[in-house]
Amino acid sequence: MDWGKLKFFLGEVGRNFTRNAGMQATAIGTVTVTIILLGAFLYVRGLMMHLSTEVFNQIEISVYLSESATPVQTAALRTTIARDRRVRSVQFVPKKEGLKELRRRMGGQVDTSLLTQNPLPDKLRVRVRTPEDVSRVAAHIAKLPGVSTINYGQDVVARLMQLSSVLGKIGIAIIATFVVIASIIISNTIRLTVFARRREIGIMQLVGATNAYIRLPFICEGFLDGLCGALLALALLAIAKVELMPKLSAALPFVRLGAASIDVWQLALELLLVGGAVGALASWVSVGRYLRV
Amino acid sequence: MISLRGVTLVYPNGVRALDRIDLEIEKGTFVFLVGHSGTGKSSVLRLLYREVKPTAGTVVVDGIRVDRLRKSRVPALRRHLGVVFQDFKLLNEKTVWENVAFALQVTGAHTRDVMRQVPRVLDLVGLSHKSRMYPNELSGGEQQRTAIARALVNNPKLLLCDEPSGNLDPTNTTEIMELLLRINLKGTTVVVATHNQAVVDRMRRRVVRLDDGRIVTDEERGYYFLGLGQTQVLSG
Repeated sequence: MDWGKLKFFLGEVGRNFTRNAGMQATAIGTVTVTIILLGAFLYVRGLMMHLSTEVFNQIEISVYLSESATPVQTAALRTTIARDRRVRSVQFVPKKEGLKELRRRMGGQVDTSLLTQNPLPDKLRVRVRTPEDVSRVAAHIAKLPGVSTINYGQDVVARLMQLSSVLGKIGIAIIATFVVIASIIISNTIRLTVFARRREIGIMQLVGATNAYIRLPFICEGFLDGLCGALLALALLAIAKVELMPKLSAALPFVRLGAASIDVWQLALELLLVGGAVGALASWVSVGRYLRV
Repeated sequence: MISLRGVTLVYPNGVRALDRIDLEIEKGTFVFLVGHSGTGKSSVLRLLYREVKPTAGTVVVDGIRVDRLRKSRVPALRRHLGVVFQDFKLLNEKTVWENVAFALQVTGAHTRDVMRQVPRVLDLVGLSHKSRMYPNELSGGEQQRTAIARALVNNPKLLLCDEPSGNLDPTNTTEIMELLLRINLKGTTVVVATHNQAVVDRMRRRVVRLDDGRIVTDEERGYYFLGLGQTQVLSG
């Protein structure tokens, strides 16, 4: 390793980086905003995905059997449903069992002892392999003989999916806008440093420096802009997470936010890379324009 | 060393800078390109270090077809020749030493070579004792010597000088020309574009005269003007 070479190179990058402090701060600031938005978006999306999988996993089709169904019919129905490849499991829940379950779930909130007779029909509890099949399987089962009514959390799921898709689209639009803005500002910053160093670049070209070599310090500068912005954003995001998450969890007790296994380190790494990449690409473009003679 | 054949250069703005030029320069010679401003002296040099491409004709420098040189090969060409300008083109925030070293460093030279070559050329141009000074602390002549040191630090076989004494007083001009002559004596081919009549007349080297983009005369041991008689006619 030629340390003299490295020292010279880092000196050049450092000089550039500190020359236009104001512009540099602007560039870093925009990257920060962009990365905060991106980070928050990715985090919320992670939560949403976690939530919907949880909801999906809880989905079951309750197939209520008609009062007149004989045990033989019920058994036949059960076999038919179980034979469907999309179905994971079929469980027979007699009405007594159903009532017990209901009592357990209500947990004393409703005095079920007031019920003189069991109002519940027998039912089959059907679980599907993939949540997307729920509605089709349910529609299929509804047509089978001996089935009275069918119930599954379709509405909830549909709304949740719709919500996350809309949120996703809005998020992507906002982030795309900010990535563009950040790129423009970084590339302007770099253009300023390029302009400030045009004499130097001219001399470099004159003495036979390759364009790649001339470019490199500027790319590094853009990368640094992006990286600093991303680091700042990460710090702010971390503070926000520590401060806000407990409050959010407290506000939404029924949603098990804590269980969401979002790999924050991986997310942080991705955000850093995005920041650095945006910076490096933006400066690549703006120096490239200058070098094209 | 240099061979121009039927070279025509028309700039994008339509100016015809050179018109069917033929020029051969042997290895190790010292050549003046003279003529009024805008007659194409600089254009000839610019062709040689591939700042511009000829519109027509061939340009060969040290066996390289410069007119056909791919853009990616231009840096390699420039490492084999040195260029010096009227305005020195030094970096004011770097010392003499750093300015000279810069040429090596940005071409990826090893620190070892930088440490060896920079003192050598600084010694050659007589600036070893001022290596820590900044360009604006130096006289014009010293600045130009720094620029020459930078041009020589790559050990080029060819040194191109575009009005090297344009910003210098007569004393400094003489110094610079003596330096160029010494460099030439060490075997480097030197091409100097100038309109400094005194220098050309005193040094009596090969003089290639351009007028309106054409070579009008080419004399061994020539004068700035075509014969001294004409000098007197024009000045009288």
